[in-house]
Amino acid sequence: MLRQEINELLTQTGPGTDMGALFRQYWLPALLAEELPENDCAPVRVKILSERLIAFRDTEGRYGLMDEFCAHRGASLWFGRNEESGLRCAYHGWKYDVTGQCVDVPSEPENGSFCANVKLRSYPLVKVGDILWTYMGDPDKRPDLPEYEFIHVPPEQTYTSKRWQECNWLQALEGGIDSSHVSFLHSGALNNDPLFKGAAGNKYNLGDLKPFFEVADTDGGLFVGARRNAEDGKYYWRITPYVLPAFTMVPPRGDHPVHGHFWVPIDDENCWVYTFDYHPVRPLTGDERQAMKDGYGVHSENIPGTYRPTANKDNDYLMDREAQRRNEHFSGVRGIAMQDASLQESMGPIVDRSKERLVPADSGIIKARQKLRKAAIALRDEGITPPGVDTAHHRVRSAAVVLPKEEGFFDSVQEAVSVRPGVPQASV
Amino acid sequence: MQPKPILLNACARAATAAEARFRIQVPIAPSRATRVVALDGGAVDIVTRVATMPWASARFLVSTVPQHDADETVARVDLHTVEGTPTDLADELDGVDVAIMVATSDAGADSAAVIGAACTVRGIMTAGLVLGRGEDSGAVAALRPHARFILVTDDEDDVPEVLTALRT
Repeated sequence: MLRQEINELLTQTGPGTDMGALFRQYWLPALLAEELPENDCAPVRVKILSERLIAFRDTEGRYGLMDEFCAHRGASLWFGRNEESGLRCAYHGWKYDVTGQCVDVPSEPENGSFCANVKLRSYPLVKVGDILWTYMGDPDKRPDLPEYEFIHVPPEQTYTSKRWQECNWLQALEGGIDSSHVSFLHSGALNNDPLFKGAAGNKYNLGDLKPFFEVADTDGGLFVGARRNAEDGKYYWRITPYVLPAFTMVPPRGDHPVHGHFWVPIDDENCWVYTFDYHPVRPLTGDERQAMKDGYGVHSENIPGTYRPTANKDNDYLMDREAQRRNEHFSGVRGIAMQDASLQESMGPIVDRSKERLVPADSGIIKARQKLRKAAIALRDEGITPPGVDTAHHRVRSAAVVLPKEEGFFDSVQEAVSVRPGVPQASV
Repeated sequence: MQPKPILLNACARAATAAEARFRIQVPIAPSRATRVVALDGGAVDIVTRVATMPWASARFLVSTVPQHDADETVARVDLHTVEGTPTDLADELDGVDVAIMVATSDAGADSAAVIGAACTVRGIMTAGLVLGRGEDSGAVAALRPHARFILVTDDEDDVPEVLTALRT
């Protein structure tokens, strides 16, 4: 359980909040690069950390992310015209460049100085991998760009999707740290999903429903190791990294691509889930990429033209009780992403953690919350840079390995959980 | 498959903030009778400090050097409270839900084995907190066979943090 005031501290990320200040120390995914596919394309509304923004790509290909609303009368710039190196408000024609600087106020005299004094709040927007990243904090403290492996392998080796999840970011993140639900909620996927099935390690998952857990504290976050029995007196370990504030990876299966998530607050009751799959040493196959687009693995099938999942709370997530009885899907909901999202959204927009009954299996979640709380308070009270800002913390991998019983995952797999360019993932 | 229409009382609708006020509100009593056992000298200091905090249903204990029988197998571990009062392992485990073993080194390996075995027989959940990240992996190895959950950390605050989260 968490006291209510700590729950509020961890779940509120708007301007002026402690956790909002923490998130504003990092580069965060703001939107997919595919959402701004060409110069002078349509602008995109972006809500992140409870701030309403507009993203656009100007005539020269520069990306901009700024206050959604015109400084004149507060009309949304989403209706604007993206042309001739700026975004022009559709109401009275005020025009802004990618820095938010007003460059034209048609009603003012030419060569007047008025518009030079009008500037919308703006944030940098930079493409790294398939994602446009923003940094919403103090410009003087802007860290180096993110170095997560999935955004630095060649484009043919990686794929990223995104979906809207209708609950607080922390609920969603905690699902990425919680390994103990996999053998239940996602058990069907281990046999059926094209991006999961066939791995030798799957039989250990399905054969041992009571894993042991070890949680190891690291400079950037955590490693959570789930241990199951394997043959010949050995253990099968699945190792999940968590990097503050909101990056998690899923342990790999066989030679399938490796996947993970970035959980980004939209506001306190919604979040974006950026989901990636990549292979460290080979291109994704056509079948793999198509499966990801079709919502298999940890991706979702979205309503065309949107990032809202086809299965959502308005249609009871297309619950299929017959599939549930057949054990095709443990919960009756198809797809790993929506199996997680459906249950996390069912908890309410912001779950009341003072009512929880946690068990030792939740140790990873307990420790993650503590690290977030301590980081937010240390930043607030002492100005201490939080874990996960240093790009060295980004260079982690998940792993799945079989080890002798006397070996612990943290001692034995340091290399396997570190990024090593050109070296395949450690997987079973 | 044709989706069924959602009725007004469907759970999906009840996930809104406005509907949250209709959730049943019942006070939650402490649900875990917990024993916290220091396995070595370093852990004793930590557990003694934590024991001074207010807890609903936790007892804090210190294990002493295990007693060996004639053939050198571990027979039993003697316990005392952090105040120094001797106590019996079987009595301490009666009615307990979870036993948390705290270690800073591998010195308590034998004690962990005895306590872990006793908990297994009684169906008691076991957890281990290893303080001193990376400094003594022997502590983790010692606990690994006997604790279903191990947290390796250099932050002493994790002991009360875990106890609080578990409602002890």
